[in-house]
Amino acid sequence: MAHQGVNPPAPGWSLTAPPRLWADLEAHLFRDDGDEHGAVILAGHTDGPRGHRLLARELLIAEDGVDYVAGTTGYRALRPEFVRDAALRARAERLAYLAVHNHFGTTSVCFSPIDLDSHERGYPALRKITKQIVGGLVFTPNAGAGDLWLPDGSRDTLSEVVVPGGNLLRLAASPVPAEASDGRHDRQARLFGDRGQQAFTRMRVAVVGLGGIGSIVTELLARLGVGHLVLIDADTIDETNLPRLVAADVDDVDARKTELAARNARRANPAIDLTVINEDVQHPDARQAIAACDWIFLAADTNAARYWVDRTVHQYLIPATQAGVKIPVNETGVIGRVHVAVRQLIPGNGCMWCNKLIDPTELALDMLPNRVREQARYVDDVPAPSVIALNSVAAAEAVNHFMLAVTNLHTDDDEHSLLRFPRSGQQVPQQSRRDTACGTCSEHGVLARGASE
Amino acid sequence: MTTPTTAVEAAVAAVRAHFAGKPVEVLPDGAGGATLIVDDIDLGDRYTPRTSWLGFHISAAYPHADIYPHYIARVARVDGQPHGQAVQPVDWNGRVALQLSRRSPGWNPANDNAALKAEKVIAWLTKA
Repeated sequence: MAHQGVNPPAPGWSLTAPPRLWADLEAHLFRDDGDEHGAVILAGHTDGPRGHRLLARELLIAEDGVDYVAGTTGYRALRPEFVRDAALRARAERLAYLAVHNHFGTTSVCFSPIDLDSHERGYPALRKITKQIVGGLVFTPNAGAGDLWLPDGSRDTLSEVVVPGGNLLRLAASPVPAEASDGRHDRQARLFGDRGQQAFTRMRVAVVGLGGIGSIVTELLARLGVGHLVLIDADTIDETNLPRLVAADVDDVDARKTELAARNARRANPAIDLTVINEDVQHPDARQAIAACDWIFLAADTNAARYWVDRTVHQYLIPATQAGVKIPVNETGVIGRVHVAVRQLIPGNGCMWCNKLIDPTELALDMLPNRVREQARYVDDVPAPSVIALNSVAAAEAVNHFMLAVTNLHTDDDEHSLLRFPRSGQQVPQQSRRDTACGTCSEHGVLARGASE
Repeated sequence: MTTPTTAVEAAVAAVRAHFAGKPVEVLPDGAGGATLIVDDIDLGDRYTPRTSWLGFHISAAYPHADIYPHYIARVARVDGQPHGQAVQPVDWNGRVALQLSRRSPGWNPANDNAALKAEKVIAWLTKA
């Protein structure tokens, strides 16, 4: 059963690697030659929901026999010139230096005494040179461990390695013991496993936009057992919203959308932790809040919401899901191609700029101070059609993807973005394009820079 | 209160350099961006008065975000004709102003910048 392999999120230091970088590292380390291989990861860093996060930005492959050579005290070692060049780059770019090698095994791994001796010989000096976090990582195909030497002189271990691809992989030094799920989630834990259910409980998830789709997403996440929701919306409820907001009634008119969402989340899960932000996502408080989450749902359709969520996905390596419904109706009442769009935003795999999904001028308008934004648009916005049943398709698809990714139940690690056309029943998978020189989702830009940007 | 981003600070410096000798007022928006007002802009002999201030907002999303719209003083055309549709009378930050709406559909953060856009908007207005 796939869910037996899921590790719930662990407190402490973590390393998150974009799937593209992880695939390159896997291909380098885990070959059929029965040998050990080496590399260096340069990583940004930031604070996360359960501790400090390292963010793998660049992989420096150590070529066998050239950069990764026979060691004097151990089996293999990185050549001193390779270490020097990598360390100087870490210092110049204020990135963590993490030396990587592989061991043999599957679901458990630890450093050998020889590894630890080499850390004690080399890392104090390397830390002094770089003035950054330095450390070692060791991997088997399904496990990872890390020994971190911090700039303040202390030392810590890595709790987990996270790879946010089609499935959200979490590697630990050894499998995390399962805790029995609470009785109320018994039926779903039969699918997810106790550790899968525990994964939801330990996660912090943001919902950006609490309108027709975000309202349903919030309900589903709370009932799944997500432990902490960050609810972000600046709007209040008007009469025309009532048919599409979960459990809304006339008394909710003029109340904040966050207030209703929080009430629903608590009703669904009285133990839930909530962070409520009554601002648009472009507000600095909201930007800061989403950067410290495990997953983001983008259910607001402004260019600013797209921009800030997309940037956070790549700068902080946080996976996100965009969910939307488009109902085009022209001035004469002709209905165009009604469709539901669910887009998976995978760190480093192509951003909204690469896919031309953000309009720079609309972004500028969204970013104007509130008092001037309306007059700057000077054309009255006509409200778009919106229907709860269509919204529910988008919300369910988005949350199903999240649920299957977190519990590693997707049958592949590919992107799961799609367009669905309810009027024809057609469904079209989508694949993000990626510009290799992109300033957002490539190493030429803010990818994995974290708080060091 | 969030101070202007590095990119916004660089843009402010570039605008000051581009309009060297003209006063530039910078008002941080508290969210990482800033509103700029450049004084003594020459609008040419088709407007009265012929000099104005030029105001615009550089947001925290710069350089990905366009600079839009721009604002000038409530000048009139010397020939007495009305302004075009993209020039609207507004009150802007307590100033009696004209709003100049010039989108940049092909805005590219690698090539476009706040100083260049300001220059393009002035050129468009004075030749319109």
